[in-house]
Amino acid sequence: MHRHPLTCILPPHMLKEIIRNGNERQRAFALQTLQISAQFRGQRQAARDLAVALALTAAPGKQRVVYDAQGGAQLPGIPVRREGEPPVEDPAVNEAYDGSGLTYDLFSEIYGRNSIDGNGLRLDSTVHYLKGYDNAFWNGQQMVYGDGDEDLPPSQRLFNRFTVAVDIIGHELTHGVTEYEAKLAYYGQSGALNESMSDVFGALVKQYQRRESADQADWVIGAGLFTANVNGIGIRSLKAPGSAYDDPLLGKDPQPAHMRDYVNTVEDNGGVHINSGIPNHAFYVTAREIGGYAWEKAGHIWYLALRDKLTATSNFQQAADLTWQTAGQIYGAGSLEQQAVKTGWAEVGILVNETTTPPPSQGDGCLPTLLRAIGLKQI
Amino acid sequence: MSTRIRYERTGGFAGLKLSCTFDLDDLPEDQADKVSELLEELDFFGLPERMLPSHPPVDQFAYKIEVESKKGNHRVLTTDSAAPEKMRELIHLLNHLARGYRKKD
Repeated sequence: MHRHPLTCILPPHMLKEIIRNGNERQRAFALQTLQISAQFRGQRQAARDLAVALALTAAPGKQRVVYDAQGGAQLPGIPVRREGEPPVEDPAVNEAYDGSGLTYDLFSEIYGRNSIDGNGLRLDSTVHYLKGYDNAFWNGQQMVYGDGDEDLPPSQRLFNRFTVAVDIIGHELTHGVTEYEAKLAYYGQSGALNESMSDVFGALVKQYQRRESADQADWVIGAGLFTANVNGIGIRSLKAPGSAYDDPLLGKDPQPAHMRDYVNTVEDNGGVHINSGIPNHAFYVTAREIGGYAWEKAGHIWYLALRDKLTATSNFQQAADLTWQTAGQIYGAGSLEQQAVKTGWAEVGILVNETTTPPPSQGDGCLPTLLRAIGLKQI
Repeated sequence: MSTRIRYERTGGFAGLKLSCTFDLDDLPEDQADKVSELLEELDFFGLPERMLPSHPPVDQFAYKIEVESKKGNHRVLTTDSAAPEKMRELIHLLNHLARGYRKKD
């Protein structure tokens, strides 16, 4: 009987050596094996503690700095709160600090990833960028947040400050992760996938913070961003794309939930914020079908696909195929999880091509398969 | 002939579009003067059409400003971090005007 390589019982000392000396990918596989072993022995909390401790000892851990641009355009601005310092009076600063910490924690504790670059990259945020700036972005090196339309009188104001929702912070940070991993090009379908990854992991940060299961979560991005003057619950919905807002001033949420409604446009780099609704919904359905906490299995599949399989030019069909393959590799061919991925993409109008990656060519015993998978040679 | 301005802002985290078209003659005098002043200071008609980074910047706004006047027609495309300082002032003013027009729909 051939065991799935990730459930092999390897001696812990070998796994710990991999964790200490391996690269990010090798460490993640070893951590995952240790966690799975601990889980099988009923030691969930021990498995989680182990992941945290090991992720933090491997390289410098969470390092945050928040800056204030004071309504101007100069970045980063003045440093106002550094890692370990207590909360300040300015809520935007504290939100940026806490939100980037929570995002770091999700990637570190659940996926074994040490910051955006996998190597302890410092998380820099600037708040109060420009005046009346109703936006947030990742500029390749740092996060930048505006204050909404704070320059309008309250009766006319539509947007709160952009640090108010933790999923917006998670969204921006995930753009950084994508830049280091798949590097999905920011236009057309690959751009919509890029946007979707940010919405998915942004949503997972919020769900992880609240310890919400897939059926408990609201699956809305940017809840709390709109003021009461807007008829809307948030900017986007993964559960029901196109339903987040319908407002006389802002218009209606334009997101499609299915390929038949794909929006062909040149604006917004080919509608990257619009067509992201399709892969967003595929993720939501996958998580719904699997059940439980969405960051654990659905999120794991999506993270490994982002890290190991997707490329700069991946389109929706390729993302469907690659997430399906990834699910098969982690959970087994024909597993409930793999079927959930297939269902997820089918519900948005994409049929997975069910071809598996080529099997290993030499020796398919448990240990050689695992060592090959994590890039080590058997002695 | 009055100067006509077409302004369009797209992209951004929320992917919302903000746009307006107006003649300077339609504006209150102080605002019209301010717009003309900024276009002069910028030497708008001498600016390159594309002031853009080499790759589309993530979640930033994309701006399209078109000016039609007796000097001719000119269009400028830019983004948040690629826009020069003086352009930011013009963008800020155009945003303010566009939001005002948004109310009228």
